[in-house]
Amino acid sequence: MIRTENLTKVYRMGEVEVQALREVNLEIQDGEFIAIIGPSGSGKSTLLNMIGCLDTPTSGAVFIDGIDTGKLSENGLAEIRREKIGFIFQQFNLVHTLNALENVALPMFFAGVKRETRLKRAEELLANVGLGNRIYHKPSEMSGGEQQRVAIARALSNDPEIVIGDEPTGNVDTKTGNTIMDILEGLNKEGRTVIVVTHDAEIAARAGRTKRMRDGRVLD
Amino acid sequence: MIDKFLLAYRSIRERRARSILTVLGIAVGIAAIVALMSVGYGMEEAITGELTGMADMISVMPGKITGHTYVELGSFTDRDVKDLQRISGIKDITAMTYDAAEVEYRNKRAPVFVLGGNAKELGSFYVEPVGIKEGRWLRENDFKGCVIGDRVANDFFDDVIHVNDKLIINGEKFIVVGIFEKASTLYASDVDPHIFLTLHAAKEALQTNEIKYIMVQVYNIDEAEGTAEEIEERINDNHGLDDFANAMTMGSMIEQIGDVFNIIRGVLVGIAAIALVVASIGIMNTMLMSVMERTHEIGVMKAIGAKSSDVLSLFLLESSMVSLVGGVVGCVLGAVAAKVISFGAGTALGIEFGAVVKPEVLLGGMAVAMVVGVLSGFYPARKASRMSPVEAVRYE
Repeated sequence: MIRTENLTKVYRMGEVEVQALREVNLEIQDGEFIAIIGPSGSGKSTLLNMIGCLDTPTSGAVFIDGIDTGKLSENGLAEIRREKIGFIFQQFNLVHTLNALENVALPMFFAGVKRETRLKRAEELLANVGLGNRIYHKPSEMSGGEQQRVAIARALSNDPEIVIGDEPTGNVDTKTGNTIMDILEGLNKEGRTVIVVTHDAEIAARAGRTKRMRDGRVLD
Repeated sequence: MIDKFLLAYRSIRERRARSILTVLGIAVGIAAIVALMSVGYGMEEAITGELTGMADMISVMPGKITGHTYVELGSFTDRDVKDLQRISGIKDITAMTYDAAEVEYRNKRAPVFVLGGNAKELGSFYVEPVGIKEGRWLRENDFKGCVIGDRVANDFFDDVIHVNDKLIINGEKFIVVGIFEKASTLYASDVDPHIFLTLHAAKEALQTNEIKYIMVQVYNIDEAEGTAEEIEERINDNHGLDDFANAMTMGSMIEQIGDVFNIIRGVLVGIAAIALVVASIGIMNTMLMSVMERTHEIGVMKAIGAKSSDVLSLFLLESSMVSLVGGVVGCVLGAVAAKVISFGAGTALGIEFGAVVKPEVLLGGMAVAMVVGVLSGFYPARKASRMSPVEAVRYE
């Protein structure tokens, strides 16, 4: 279970303080498929970064399976990101120097998985997202939809309980967006918690539960 | 571990042009060290090597050396030479006289240094190490014969001189009976530009009775220093002066040369060190650029679970791989450059020496490359490893 407690994030940009999150309290059950929607600047990406352990709160706390992530060391956070969470970005964020197979295998490399095991699993994961014939292609040789599917395969490489998507359909056409949502739905059916941020109501409608955000607050 | 190498290798290859430039930067620094050291060792070995072959020699001069200047105080007498013959442990003594003379060959005139000594002893000093190319060495009764050095034969006059040609030395006719081979480094200045006569003939041609130089050969090299002191004492007594004679063993000359070469090497290493500092600033710059450029990539790696230590070790590995290659290339370039420089300098100066590439210099060069690489890679690598993932990912 994921729970936030009075989660607050303040960014300081020179003299100006930006309240990105204001005392957010949110509970996400294991195996849930939740969509967070809201206009840009509403704080939804910041919330996602907090849950995904990419950023630390100014005050308040994030609990993942009862663990207060604010109390973890940097290595502890890296371990959660590596083992429990799969992150999918709007910009795909693949490593350009590596081909699809190596990109998918990278999180397993950081987890210390043996090379053969790693490459075999990466191949399977790519086949599962329909890219079995493109494994040696570099990101620059792939379309946006293909890159996002590689990114999804990468997010799954250490078999995480939680999959987080920050506008995962934001940079692809509607048809590809639907394919990606199909994949995410499938992951949810496998029992994974799926959290998606979007400003597309149609996409959000496919989630089990929707939360709206505005001005750093979660609306009921 | 292999995978980290692969990852580091990928990112080096991805930025090929810049990686090559960085490798060259280090390589030039290391090559400078290796080449300069090797040339220095080569020069030292060429000179001390030949001196060691002459370690049983003592040269006696009528004057003193203060600092680096020699002040001639007069000349030796026949009595000095006779007295030296009574010192035990001496194998050979050659009394010599020398002076510049006007020499004419086929109506061309040139000033040439003429050197006279007892034919047998003088021969034992020069003939064996240098060699006679044409003709023969002087005999004691060669009152009108002379032997000439390589440059006298080939360079000093319009026409090349051969055996049996006639030279006019200070108005007296001499026949060339022999011509020396071109001498090696150590003997070049003693033999190549000189005309050799018997002592008797030289005294007459130069119109002098002065003995300006005595060469002594001892039986036992270990006793050379003692013998040198004894020589100085005897001659000083004869002339009633404290430091008239200066007897120097080759051993003490080797020591002096060693000191000089230590200074030269120090200067060379200093120059090379500057090159290396420049190179290491280059590496640091490349690595910092690499970190900046890859901020986003570092963020992605951290976002998918890389620890700070993973990022640190990746970047350190990258800079050490670059410096390892730089070190190897530098050692090879340096060794080649040393050979080329020593060949070029040897040809230009007409001396013969080869660079000595010592394994410890190569190992040292590699070690310096690695240390420089790791040290200058460390700051950028740490900077990379400390980036916040969310800010790094956002960076485009």
